[in-house]
Amino acid sequence: MIKKDLSIEFLGVKFENPFCLSSSPVGNCYDMCKKAYEVGWGGVVFKTIGPKSYFIDEVSPRFDKLNKENTPFVGFKNMEQIAEHSLEENLRDLRKLKKEFPNKVLIASIMGNDEKTWEDLARMVEEAGADMIEMNLSCPQMTSHAMGSDVGTNPELCKKYCQAVKRGSKLPMMAKMTPNITDMVPVALACLEGGADGIAAINTIKSICNIDLDKKIGLPIVDGKSAISGYSGKAVKPVALRFLQQMRQDPRLKDLPISGIGGIETWEDAAEFILVGASTLQVTTGIMQYGYRIVEDMKNGLMHYMEEQGVEHLSELVGLANKNIIPAENLNRDYIVRPTFDYDKCVKCGRCYISCYDGGHQAIEWDAENRKPTCNKDKCVGCLLCGHVCPVGAISKGEITIKAGRKTKAKDVRL
Amino acid sequence: MDSNYKKELEPGFSPLTVCEEASRCLLCLDAPCSKACPAGTSPDKFIRSVRFRNFKGAAETIRENNALGAICARVCPTEKYCQKGCSRSGIDRPIDIGRIQRYVTDYEESLKMEILKAGKANGKKVAIVGSGPSALQAAVSLRSLGYAVEVFEKEKVLGGMLRLIPEYRLPDRVVDKEIERIEKLGVKFHVGECVGKDVKLEELKKAFDAVLLAPGYSYGKMLPAFEGNPNVVLAVDFLREVKAKKGEVKVPANVLVVGGGDVAMDVVTTLKLLGVEHVTDVVYEQFKEFKASKKELEGAQRLGVTIMDGYVPAKVEGKVVSFAHREIKGEVKIEADKIILAVGQYPDVSGLGVELVKGEVNEGKKYFTKDPKVFVCGDIAKSEFDKTVVGGVRTGKEVALYIDAALGGK
Repeated sequence: MIKKDLSIEFLGVKFENPFCLSSSPVGNCYDMCKKAYEVGWGGVVFKTIGPKSYFIDEVSPRFDKLNKENTPFVGFKNMEQIAEHSLEENLRDLRKLKKEFPNKVLIASIMGNDEKTWEDLARMVEEAGADMIEMNLSCPQMTSHAMGSDVGTNPELCKKYCQAVKRGSKLPMMAKMTPNITDMVPVALACLEGGADGIAAINTIKSICNIDLDKKIGLPIVDGKSAISGYSGKAVKPVALRFLQQMRQDPRLKDLPISGIGGIETWEDAAEFILVGASTLQVTTGIMQYGYRIVEDMKNGLMHYMEEQGVEHLSELVGLANKNIIPAENLNRDYIVRPTFDYDKCVKCGRCYISCYDGGHQAIEWDAENRKPTCNKDKCVGCLLCGHVCPVGAISKGEITIKAGRKTKAKDVRL
Repeated sequence: MDSNYKKELEPGFSPLTVCEEASRCLLCLDAPCSKACPAGTSPDKFIRSVRFRNFKGAAETIRENNALGAICARVCPTEKYCQKGCSRSGIDRPIDIGRIQRYVTDYEESLKMEILKAGKANGKKVAIVGSGPSALQAAVSLRSLGYAVEVFEKEKVLGGMLRLIPEYRLPDRVVDKEIERIEKLGVKFHVGECVGKDVKLEELKKAFDAVLLAPGYSYGKMLPAFEGNPNVVLAVDFLREVKAKKGEVKVPANVLVVGGGDVAMDVVTTLKLLGVEHVTDVVYEQFKEFKASKKELEGAQRLGVTIMDGYVPAKVEGKVVSFAHREIKGEVKIEADKIILAVGQYPDVSGLGVELVKGEVNEGKKYFTKDPKVFVCGDIAKSEFDKTVVGGVRTGKEVALYIDAALGGK
């Protein structure tokens, strides 16, 4: 079995591997975190610890999921707030975990409701042995508007609370961002100004997953009603990657340390987050569906990827894609690349024809007798929708044509 | 002893697995499946409905094209029709269309959907002789065009050859439900009335605007060498008895079957499910030219039936039959306690005023007879399709249109 060093340093703390539980139901108590460490997770962000005065009162049931065809959990909706155990119990669990797993990283997620509680919580978790603090500025389903994503969309408030946390503790600290905002950059900058050392992104997206068609109520139903709450899972990965990229492409945040979160289930997802700038990775929904064991294939797969890439240290991969994602207006618009068909692979289903006609430019011609698609070059604009709908990968990028009067040479185009 | 015979051999899909199977479908532009269905059902349309979670719509597509949708879902030799050209075969294997149809028709039944509708009464009446697949479909198609329809069945139970298909492939309850649905449409059924014997054709011609003959191949053929042998039973009689008695029959431990069509496969599989230890099937055709559907042949082989292909009976002495191979030299001698012949069937058209040429009526255009008031469908009608349930459904649909045209409809 392949063996590669997956360790990485993040905010001055060494992780044996970048995979962490995110602050959520999957890291809710000592037993859960112990099992996760034993299965091989590099770190745990313990479920958010709140102030003593804030009473956690959860609904039942509290989850819903989005399916597509026969794939469940395309997306997942969650109504849980922060840790429901008492402050004392949580601190006791942190102490026990640090004592028993000194080489694993223990991150305390905290959420105050005013400057004093933020400061107090920071001090208490440091005393309990946490290696790092994550500020939860982003839970979208808090029952108090002085907490959660209502705070995370207000840069001034974020800065103030970051300062409070830094007064309470000298531990490295990351601020966890809400995606329920158009631009994350001002909030991230405010947090850094307030003393944050890095950013965790993203928390869940406000959502309604499904509506019960008979009862006319959103799901899950709580005594005949439902509420908007956070959406996660594979479906949110594209949104998360976009936020990471947007932060890292801002000159002020060029080398921003990020802990990436949002729909990570496979080593490929993990690698994508790393390539847009994440140093560590946090997972919840994949674990809720499949259990802690998913880390085994994420770690092993990532090692093989490093091997293929000829990389000795994970840090070498961090942010490599950032420079290759540029504003749309800067892309080369000088050429079109048209599809080429591999007729040995083609199963003659005609899906390319349907999609090109109904969703493209009517450029695929269908030889009904032989059930064979061909491309009409005069009509084809090179959008390559056909390649995406082909079930057998028989359509790929073919001939390049340079638009009239443009300077680019076909041989220089990198497809 | 009977438990396996009464259980459906092939499990149905669950809500999960039917969606998985529908997701495998490539949703072709010019779906080969829909071009190949003798009943004119569009599998591509109902599979797409399942894919997009419109199960009721899927049921409509099936039922409006095929009054025996739940039956065909179970017995249709799909590998010869809809599944034959399936584009998915280019990747791995065809979509299991029959089983998706079964799920959808079971769903339809569970909701007691009433999809078939009678047309506005046009004041005209049609009598149908026989109640097999083609007759049932014709009755529905004619009702939807507004005709009053009465069906005359010589047996005590309705369904014709459907009552011969073994319970493990086609449970009686499924046939009963399909007929119940047709009865609800206003079709009047007469059982135990044999036209040509108990009821004269002339009487029907007087009382009805048209008479449709659909007698079916209900009688088993005998081979001269086996005639009068007390150990010999005809396949159709055997199957009918086992089904009527729900598998509560006594069969010896060593049975020889002669024949290689679908009926023969039904016989050998039934014997195995009844617990018969030695089932030997000797078949005229060699495997390369086999008549039975591949699925039924494989099912029989899985259950451990011994099949010898390419042999013809040469000599019969009581329980001992000698066979000779058609191409190679050599003889095989088999002794069995019971011999079942599954070597073809024929119809009885006595008193129906038609003549048969090679088992079919050939007195004019397809579905017509020399009598302008009398039409034919089902096994005795000329058809480009095999004489299967779905082939019967096809003729029933088509003949209804011809009758309608002849009686002044559109």
